[in-house]
Amino acid sequence: MKAFQRGLLVAAIAAAVSVVVRVRSKGPVPPTTGGGWRELQGPDFR
Amino acid sequence: MSTVLVVGLGEVGVRTARQLIDTPGVDRVLVAARHLEHAREVAAALHDGAEPLQLGRDDPLPPDLGAIASAVPSDVDPALARRAVAAGIPYASCADRDASLGALLALDADARARGTRVVAGCGLAPGLADVLARHAVGALDSVDELHVARWGIAGPESASEARRAQREDAQEWRDGALVHDKHRHAQLIWYPDPVGARECELVATGVGLLVAANPGAGRVTARLGVPPTRRFTPPGRRDPGAAWGAVRVEAWGWRGTARTSVVYGVIERTAIAAGTVLGVTAAWLSDALPEIAAAPEPGAYGLGAVVDPVAFLAELARRGVKAAAFEGVAVA
Repeated sequence: MKAFQRGLLVAAIAAAVSVVVRVRSKGPVPPTTGGGWRELQGPDFR
Repeated sequence: MSTVLVVGLGEVGVRTARQLIDTPGVDRVLVAARHLEHAREVAAALHDGAEPLQLGRDDPLPPDLGAIASAVPSDVDPALARRAVAAGIPYASCADRDASLGALLALDADARARGTRVVAGCGLAPGLADVLARHAVGALDSVDELHVARWGIAGPESASEARRAQREDAQEWRDGALVHDKHRHAQLIWYPDPVGARECELVATGVGLLVAANPGAGRVTARLGVPPTRRFTPPGRRDPGAAWGAVRVEAWGWRGTARTSVVYGVIERTAIAAGTVLGVTAAWLSDALPEIAAAPEPGAYGLGAVVDPVAFLAELARRGVKAAAFEGVAVA
């Protein structure tokens, strides 16, 4: 019985850690490029 | 002055009709659906700027049409195109299934014989992406790589076509041959905000059109990303870019003695961008927008091969679909 409870406790801790890791890993992705977007204007259409 | 028929009144078809109504050179817009009631509802939603029409598979096409703008599902598009060509009516289509694009281009001989034109791939990608690709290639002395990516869907039919494209074998153009790529390895593609970085898979859709319009490119790829369909989004996890559509075009080549890249992108609601591209193309085919390019010889083409990119992009910008250039250091 004690081993079963320990197993449950370990499973619960593992699930909690995986949730935290998953949530934290969904942050913004670091850019692999440097720069920005510029809207095409009149001179670009000549 | 001319009459344009819009067939297929989904998300894209309705936007196409709106664009045609707002085009001064088009004096009459017909909106056609299988059921007259649906066509009437759309015409009413367009404040009666369009005339409703019932058009079944066997119904005759109306007389005196300047062009047909087709936003019907990809599987029925080639049959409608064949009817248009047989009647000698210019035809623009936003179908994006690779087999349908091939079927439209296969009408080339018939279109030549009837003295009319078929323009395939008049949506976001293929479509606007092809025009941006031509514009990017034009900024280089020579091009050796061309990479196109699209994010977003226009409606339920578009979503199922996009998922179908992701299931089918991917293809890329490599050194003069179409190569099947079984490893479709998703790649992170950077679009303008708010879409940002998205995983997009290699697909076959539109690669043939890009190669035909840019024969100098040694490598051509097309990628597609589909927003996930979620019934429930946890608080604070809403994705602001999921509802948008975007394209990114990256051309690598030579300018003088330096190897360099030109990157263009667009963000817009997918249906609005596709509807605007289809509407402008149909208006051009009906001679209502002659400034976009001289009318091509009769035949079947992809959009990127027949329009003047600068004039086409300027017309789209006037209608609110604006392209942007990436300025910085792109990573090959």
